[in-house]
Amino acid sequence: MNPTLPDLLTGITVALSTPLPPEASGEYAAGRQGMIATIAILCAQEAERGGAARVWENGAMRALFGRAAPKYDGGLGGRLRQAASGVDADFTWAGLDAANADLRRVLIALHEAVEDAGDRRLDREILNLYRDMARARRLDLAGG
Amino acid sequence: MSLTAQLAAYLSRTGGAPATIDMISRISGGASRETYRFDATQNGERCGYILRRDPPGSLIDTDRRLEFAAIRSFAGKGVCAPDALALEVEGAELERPFFIMRRIDGGATGSPFAPDPYAAHAGAIGEQFFTIMGKIAGEPVDGLPICDVTDRPALDACWTRELDYWAGVIDEDEIHPQPIVRAAVRRLRRHPPPPAQKLAVVHGDYRSGNFLHDGAGRIIAVLDWEMAHLGDPLEDLAWATDPLWSHPAGGRISGMLALPDAVAIWERASGLKVDPAAFAWWRLFASVKAQAIWISSAREWRDGGFKEPILAFSGWLTARRQDEILAEALANFEAA
Repeated sequence: MNPTLPDLLTGITVALSTPLPPEASGEYAAGRQGMIATIAILCAQEAERGGAARVWENGAMRALFGRAAPKYDGGLGGRLRQAASGVDADFTWAGLDAANADLRRVLIALHEAVEDAGDRRLDREILNLYRDMARARRLDLAGG
Repeated sequence: MSLTAQLAAYLSRTGGAPATIDMISRISGGASRETYRFDATQNGERCGYILRRDPPGSLIDTDRRLEFAAIRSFAGKGVCAPDALALEVEGAELERPFFIMRRIDGGATGSPFAPDPYAAHAGAIGEQFFTIMGKIAGEPVDGLPICDVTDRPALDACWTRELDYWAGVIDEDEIHPQPIVRAAVRRLRRHPPPPAQKLAVVHGDYRSGNFLHDGAGRIIAVLDWEMAHLGDPLEDLAWATDPLWSHPAGGRISGMLALPDAVAIWERASGLKVDPAAFAWWRLFASVKAQAIWISSAREWRDGGFKEPILAFSGWLTARRQDEILAEALANFEAA
């Protein structure tokens, strides 16, 4: 997912250390400070939950690909089987995100094929997965 | 040269008399433009103004001529459009494109993230909010200034024009693959809406947070016209009712009204009808467009050197919330 946690932390540090012109002091500066503080709090949430969300999402996609693979021959079938057999080995944020990006590309290709085939059962399963993926990545503004 | 000096030089030249600037202050909001309030004194008269200047990096790539023409299209038409005074597409003394509006003082905005942003005035503000939107939708477009600066899609092409544009933004700016919004784009293409019932001016960002109210239940200005265009009148209604602009715990559109009441007010004011299938299409589209903007925001934040925290906020927190909304809307789309 982007922006990444390192991007965010680097970014708010850059923002904090960049002087503002005189006309941007006052209300704008106060609002900007508040936004930086909110991002920092959300970074804490992401640090707490983000790794687990990525591991879960990668696993859920692989499980789906394993169930869908027998339905597809050729290139897509091969991609599904290969992706389904993978495991997360690099548990850095960058490593998990790279694996996640690869899996998401396969998911997009699978969903396109499912739609073309009119496979309503698998389509529904993918839509449910989308809902779960989005919920797993939720950030709570109130810090809860 | 400071912005104050640049503005003074510009107003002195164009006004033909020395101008002095004071009380200049950047204000929050309007992430696609730098927005400042300032006072100018010229020929002994002091007035309050708003300056909207293009930033080096922006959340939304829009043509400032469009925003200026859209505002001018509704001058004196009872939709609380500000008074647009000057436009400089080449930037003149300010070096970047800008325009100047007369300032409307004494107003407040309501946060889309607040559970009850309008409190006791929610009903009255909701009535005006959807009435103004309906008036904009119902206005005949022929002869309006906005027609000089934008194309005029056929009634059956309003949806493709918008969907193609925002899908293109996603293609261009996506960094990490986004399966949810891509599925929504495909679903919209497979299930097109009926042709627009009329060609309308679409404000493009008509929502809670983009108008000023006086704190006593009266809307005094509709802001942020930078995404205005000609299109399907349902587009604004769908955008304003996207769940993003409403607190999840509220149950009312932007803390104002229940959806059926909002639709009824809009229909009365516009003289138009809301076809449920068309509305469902435009609501899913609204979420796609929003997500395209958040994707762009994340890209701009990274490529622009991490300078504006609003871009990170939009490209991260807002994008995550939008994914939840999109996933829910997708699951219910065909059932609608």
